[in-house]
Amino acid sequence: MTTLSGIIFIIGKAFLLALAAPFVSGIIRKTKNCMRMRRGQGLFQFYFDIRKLFSKDEVISKNVSWIFFAAPAVVFTASVLALLMILMVQPGSFTSDGMAILIAVFFVFGLARFFLALAGLDAGSSFGGMGSSREMFISSFAEPAIFITAFVLCVSGGNSFKVSNLLALFSVSMAVIAETSRIPVDNKETHLELTMIHEAMVLEYSGRSLALIELASHIKQIVFFTILSWYIFTPQVPGIYAWAIFPAKIAAISIIVAFVEISLAKMRLFRAVDFLSFSFFIALVASIAASLGL
Amino acid sequence: MTLAFILSGFLVVTFVLVICKRITALIRAFRIESVFLFLYTLYMGITQRHADLFIVCGLIFALKAVIIPFVLLRITRRINVEEDLGLLVNPQLSMVIALIFAYLSYLFAHKAMSLVNLAESAAFIVSITAVCIGFFIMVSRMKALGQIIGLLVMENGIFLAAGSIAGGMPFFIEIALFFDVFVFVVIVEVFVYKVNRLFTHIDTSKMKSLKG
Repeated sequence: MTTLSGIIFIIGKAFLLALAAPFVSGIIRKTKNCMRMRRGQGLFQFYFDIRKLFSKDEVISKNVSWIFFAAPAVVFTASVLALLMILMVQPGSFTSDGMAILIAVFFVFGLARFFLALAGLDAGSSFGGMGSSREMFISSFAEPAIFITAFVLCVSGGNSFKVSNLLALFSVSMAVIAETSRIPVDNKETHLELTMIHEAMVLEYSGRSLALIELASHIKQIVFFTILSWYIFTPQVPGIYAWAIFPAKIAAISIIVAFVEISLAKMRLFRAVDFLSFSFFIALVASIAASLGL
Repeated sequence: MTLAFILSGFLVVTFVLVICKRITALIRAFRIESVFLFLYTLYMGITQRHADLFIVCGLIFALKAVIIPFVLLRITRRINVEEDLGLLVNPQLSMVIALIFAYLSYLFAHKAMSLVNLAESAAFIVSITAVCIGFFIMVSRMKALGQIIGLLVMENGIFLAAGSIAGGMPFFIEIALFFDVFVFVVIVEVFVYKVNRLFTHIDTSKMKSLKG
């Protein structure tokens, strides 16, 4: 994959995935609305939202420093970088290279989160600081689980019906729900002061900066769904249809996430700690099972 | 491959039982665990082609996944007890303890029983973990209903252990065990109801001192 054609191939795939990222969010929202017996917005609404935001002016507080302006660019660049790196991993044959790439991806997301948290504090509004502190609090519980399940993936190989792999799938799906700020932990749809975590951080942003941050969060979501899809068993299909497996997996994951969102209530903040520490311990059990070869 | 799915489901639900904070959640988790036990017995029945095992798995489903949860949910409604279970250890520490149990049962399976076949020892490890966790639930819950669930989880674990080592117990012993468990739950229902009427609570940690 170091040849020029390989690089072009990866960039093309990344471009397609980035283009499809708001659509995945659209699928989740449409499924939720269907289950609520509502018509809801169309599947492409997020594209219209982003286009609208790009054409709008920004309202910027007088008290902000350079961090506020740098953060959207850093967050967006980090998401795109993570997307490019995730495409270099070849699912099915995980080597130490794959593990190194995964760890680098999580650290890149950590950088983005760091800048976003700083930007939330920067404008000096009380909600921003609250959102930053909550985001850091939640991520400090979600990250260990994600790291350990990545190790399990590289030991057990993924794509198989092993005890360790199934436990890791269970654990990583809980952590991915937290990372993509979905319902039991966070709620993207609401702007209620008491409950929002991710939205509270980006409350000061408007216009183009907000569009970049929204797009980055869609891309981050598709990156985590891609990681999740590696744990799911791949059926053997004829070569002509092999391209369809990945979109089918992503669609299935987003519909399942929508089901989870619709059937659970949002947890209070300190209950989310139990949720995520459970994910962490299941990841530990999975790593024990993986080291035994189960 | 099906076996791995069933076993990991059983293990996850057993861990869920450790951190459940509400009585109804605990009973529902126990019901799901019983469904996984039912699936395991069904799988054993299909692979080993024993007619007995099909009867046993039907009984597991009827008794452990339907009747016992129903009876326990009914008693929860009737005594109108508050939902809180009264944990002696907080959920995080309970998970650490459950994890230690999982590791110790692995050591037990490999050192004491010297099981080497991974696929078979997986079921045994999971079952011993379930027994230990059931025991832990019994000692770490203050309320009587939580302790009952602990005992039933232990029973599930023992059943799984028998299935994993010997491919199931003799048929009549299993029937007798089912009858035992059923009678136990019925007696416990009456007992909890009486205790609640007499003391207005079912908190066993408050029953240490004698009343004149």
